[in-house]
Amino acid sequence: MEKLAMNKPSMGKNSTQHKQAFDEPLWWGLFSAGGVCFAVLLPAVILFIAVLLPLGLLPAEALSYERVSSLLFSVPGFLFVGAVVCLPLFHAAHRLRHGMFDISVGNDALNKKLMYGSAALLSTVALGLVVAGMLG
Amino acid sequence: MNTQQISTKQISVKRYLPDSSAESYWQQYELPVDDSTSLLDALNHIKEQLDSTLSYRWSCRMAICGSCGVMVNGIPKLGCKTFLRDYEGDIRIEPLSHFPVQRDLVVDMAIFLEHLAAVKPYLIDDNPVKPYDPQAPETYQQSPEQLARYKQFANCINCGLCYSACPQFGLNPEFLGPAAITLAHRYNLDSRDHGKKQRMAELNRHEGVWSCTFVGFCSKVCPKHVDPAAAVNQGKVEAAKHTLIALFKG
Repeated sequence: MEKLAMNKPSMGKNSTQHKQAFDEPLWWGLFSAGGVCFAVLLPAVILFIAVLLPLGLLPAEALSYERVSSLLFSVPGFLFVGAVVCLPLFHAAHRLRHGMFDISVGNDALNKKLMYGSAALLSTVALGLVVAGMLG
Repeated sequence: MNTQQISTKQISVKRYLPDSSAESYWQQYELPVDDSTSLLDALNHIKEQLDSTLSYRWSCRMAICGSCGVMVNGIPKLGCKTFLRDYEGDIRIEPLSHFPVQRDLVVDMAIFLEHLAAVKPYLIDDNPVKPYDPQAPETYQQSPEQLARYKQFANCINCGLCYSACPQFGLNPEFLGPAAITLAHRYNLDSRDHGKKQRMAELNRHEGVWSCTFVGFCSKVCPKHVDPAAAVNQGKVEAAKHTLIALFKG
């Protein structure tokens, strides 16, 4: 009950000021952006790369090595990887973090570091490979 | 209950009488029902005819006072707005989830009222109130468009059903919860109000809007169609804007 007392109006805004969740808007923003990319872009990517291509419904040279490398290792390729890999990673990390809280696994402060940390690490690797390809 | 009796139904009520036992137990009641019998009518029948020891809250009988919230087969409902004709078989009545039970169907809503008070759910006006001048009375003025912005969120009757529906409130009672955040949003949207800055400090905490995971069950159970889930998620956008502005202002 001691903590609850912090919410009483008589405590004013100073008591709540230091408890502001400055990081949450960032995670929520990445989660929202990732959700849009997940819903809008990933089905198209899966359709082209995982369905049409193996079925031989695309022209053979449509995704040839030369064509794909020149597409990927460019500024549009960098943005593409950001939209279909990095943002969905943060979306998934956010869901996993809240899912773990829901089933009372671990503690939220640690889960946050693990989930968003993994998303950031994998994003850096993905974007790093694109940049390396652009330079190399 | 004086209209034609068409059948009898059995309802099971979760009893908790701390004076006689520390454990809660189920008790069955058989009662006469017709098509117009609400759950509140049924509870009143039990209290008056079968068992005067049963405790529950009620007042208005018409979904205005928000007193008679109970769990019906595990779903939060208002007793007066729930009709037994819609249920087959055993009907299980429990006190509202996520609140401490005081006795039978009566729960302690103090924590909800604390959260409500924390978001200052009233008009805040920085200008000092002028003495009333009958020759030139000054009133708050508001256009129908300005009213429409918040009107839906103003229909809350503080029944607490959304708190019983919210799994996040169940996990962490310090979460401000659907109704409090909705009322904060309702006053933030009101053109007559100037208290948004004070309320945003409450909303932008981990226990504010950010504890919501958009389950949306609060909006399903709301007897007044307030749609608290929409208010909470609009509150997230506002809290994000509030944070950005705070970052730039330093």
